[in-house]
Amino acid sequence: MKVYLTSCLEKIKAKYAEIRYEERRITRVHYVGKELEFIGESETRGGGIRVQGKNGWSFISFNKLEKLKDYLNEAARQACIARGREVRLAPAHPRVEVIRAKVKKDPRQISLEEKYHLCTRYNQLLLSPKKVQSSSLRYFDVHTVKYFANTEGTYIEQERVDTIIGMTAIARDGINIQFAHEGIGGTGGYELVEGLEDKAEEVSRRAVELLEAEPASAGKYTVVVDPKLSGVFAHEAFGHLSEADFLYENDRLREIMQLGRRFGPPELNIVDEAPIEGQSGYYLYDDEGVPAQKTYLIKEGKLVGYLHSRETAAKMGAQPTGNARAISYRYPPIVRMSNTYIEPQGKSKEEIISEVEEGIYARGFRGGQTNLEMFTFCPEEGYLIKKGKLVKKIRDFNLTGNIFTTLFNIEAIGDDFVLFGGPGGCGKAGQSPLPVSTGGPHLRIREVIVGGV
Amino acid sequence: MEKILEIALSKAQEAEVYRVRKQVTTVKFQANRIKSIDSLFEDGVGLRVIKGGRIGFSSANNLKDARNLVDRALSSSQFGQKAYFHFPSPAEVLSVQCFDPQVSSLKVEDMVEEGERAISLITEQEPQFSCEGELEKAEFEVRILNSSGLDESYKKTEYAFFLYAFLAKEEGFLGIEEGESGCSYQEYSSLIAERILKAIDLAKNNVKIPPGSYRAIFTSKAMPLLLQSLKSGINGKLVQKKSSPLVEKIGKPIVCPVVNILDDGLFPFALGSRPIDGEGIPSRRTQIIKDGVLKNFIYDLQTASMMKSESTANATRSYNSLPSPSTTNLILEPGDASLEEMIKDIKEGIIVDQVIGSGQGNELTGEFSVNLDLGYKVEEGKIKGRVKDVMISGNAYKLLNKVIAVGKEARFVGTVKTPPVYFEKVTVAG
Repeated sequence: MKVYLTSCLEKIKAKYAEIRYEERRITRVHYVGKELEFIGESETRGGGIRVQGKNGWSFISFNKLEKLKDYLNEAARQACIARGREVRLAPAHPRVEVIRAKVKKDPRQISLEEKYHLCTRYNQLLLSPKKVQSSSLRYFDVHTVKYFANTEGTYIEQERVDTIIGMTAIARDGINIQFAHEGIGGTGGYELVEGLEDKAEEVSRRAVELLEAEPASAGKYTVVVDPKLSGVFAHEAFGHLSEADFLYENDRLREIMQLGRRFGPPELNIVDEAPIEGQSGYYLYDDEGVPAQKTYLIKEGKLVGYLHSRETAAKMGAQPTGNARAISYRYPPIVRMSNTYIEPQGKSKEEIISEVEEGIYARGFRGGQTNLEMFTFCPEEGYLIKKGKLVKKIRDFNLTGNIFTTLFNIEAIGDDFVLFGGPGGCGKAGQSPLPVSTGGPHLRIREVIVGGV
Repeated sequence: MEKILEIALSKAQEAEVYRVRKQVTTVKFQANRIKSIDSLFEDGVGLRVIKGGRIGFSSANNLKDARNLVDRALSSSQFGQKAYFHFPSPAEVLSVQCFDPQVSSLKVEDMVEEGERAISLITEQEPQFSCEGELEKAEFEVRILNSSGLDESYKKTEYAFFLYAFLAKEEGFLGIEEGESGCSYQEYSSLIAERILKAIDLAKNNVKIPPGSYRAIFTSKAMPLLLQSLKSGINGKLVQKKSSPLVEKIGKPIVCPVVNILDDGLFPFALGSRPIDGEGIPSRRTQIIKDGVLKNFIYDLQTASMMKSESTANATRSYNSLPSPSTTNLILEPGDASLEEMIKDIKEGIIVDQVIGSGQGNELTGEFSVNLDLGYKVEEGKIKGRVKDVMISGNAYKLLNKVIAVGKEARFVGTVKTPPVYFEKVTVAG
């Protein structure tokens, strides 16, 4: 592969060009309710090339590797039509490296039958309570080999194995339908998804319990969030705004997002860190061949860093941070998060809750979104807190805040810490889902707007 | 493809080969200037087999390896879902307008110009705004071949233009998104620029709204938020699994009598139109709601058969997935109120245009709770300014049961065609 890719790159007439090629083998098992919707394996192979013109880019994705030279020529032609701003790339040292996946139990060595039995067992557990009407159980293992070569002499081969399971139980009582979800797994082997019987039982219990919960009332509350939500909060409430591709060509936004600006209390640290083994957002080199690293976005409450690609780094006079990622060969790399979290501090979860006179304890997450100023993050369930005690279970509510004010309202940061990955992931610019992990400690935030009835 | 079918049939009782060849070109703009020209060349095939009464499936985008593809599909059939249907025989297919030669002959250079035109229309008037967006043209060919003698193929084009105008100010951000899409080429630049400029103008002042319940107009752009629950509710698969709240509701009123909705796979040059569905069943129109009464669910072959009904030609898939029911073009029929009349009627209320955080709540039951990304306050029949930093919430089914008026000017937002709709009540928190 190395010889073929580099020889194709030799002849191209362009300032810079890169080739990514990907081989993926996926095994999926998917239950919906009692029925096995799908079980089987498939294979995809394809590549993406990116060619830099003087004032823009061209990106072409393809399935037929044998036509690579034609695609390179076409990309070089299209890159010349792009008449935007001059493109510059921050320097990156040429590297040659081959990375093999470290896996305890390679899912390729496990028979389809065994995976079938595992999923059937979990699904039966999900469906066992009487009130659970339906379920969704999605298992998948993915073996990926990614090849990267560019005109600067970098050649990187990265192998990875992801094994992931998502379990949803849907409970029903008349027209009241409630669901609970848990995603487990990440980069690693079959061992990640074994022994989850207790988890399956817990998920269906949570769904049934939600039937008894009352819809939340809309309003402003002091909210305590669990580590799952705390992670989504880090991701939505700040992570996206630190992605430099939103900033680098917008002078007004750059002024607003100046390094050193205070965003939160001095105890607040927000980090993006790809090289954490086992996490969904784990990788060693990004899709521009730049090494991954740990980047502080907020340190002691102040903005200290952005996430960069080579292009945004060049424009902003910074170093690339290894955050240029693409969900597959079909897309060009763009600036993305990896594993994003809030660092833990000193307070126990019990203290954080007991100090609340009146508020909400929100748990689990169903998703989040941001428009760079406002964000939402949606819990699975919650409890009303009265005089420091959890008094009533509530459901169907969403939390929202303003990035520039809500972070200041963090009044307590917990001493616990969990990172979550699983299926799903982040969506941006049509690329979804990108595997990411998010996490943090319990947090207490004042004046969060809660949408409900 | 014939060879794959032949090899598959040597081991399985029934088989179906589905192939998609696709070519997409996208012109991307960032910070008011062109950034990149991207293309996609894709060729993939999916093989579905029925062996021993069970369904097997596999896909690949390397057609050379037919034997491997067949083996994987067969091994998946050992545990696969029980098949309640047979692959369909050929039937009469209506011609559907979903291919426009103007799209396939459209030059990249022209797309660049069209994008630049729209951006300069906006920035000439509003130089502080920064626009990003994309123009995309796609051309694809689908062929289905099965063991019941069906051999159908069609060509389809798609053309889309999306633009997002953004302004960052210390006191708050404003982002407006607009777009148009369909199967045919049309010059959208002035239309899109005009809509964005109008929104910028309306959003110049921020106004406050006290928390409470208000009358609300959902624009065409915002209506998919409410229709999404209904889309899930009528989905034959969710009905069959009994996770839809609409189970056993056929023939019963579920929303206001002014609401009429159909699924129309034949709508000329609409994004969801096609002559046949993902299993080769000829496309059709299906009445979903007539005068507020639920008439039909949408099905593919498998779910239809399990529900003792027939396919409504709603099997949707790509080459690498099994078919599953999904709406083609969902049409909410227009009523007789103009947007101006609806606004005039409001003493105190809001207009919802863009939201963030949709699809994260309990979509099945219709609950929604979203941040109002772009919305306006109406007082005494006039738009007063932009409302932000509030959450709006409600239940889609309850809202659709309290419709004051359905607008008369409908437009497509992706595959949903809807007019603005005026509702009695949403909850505003902030």
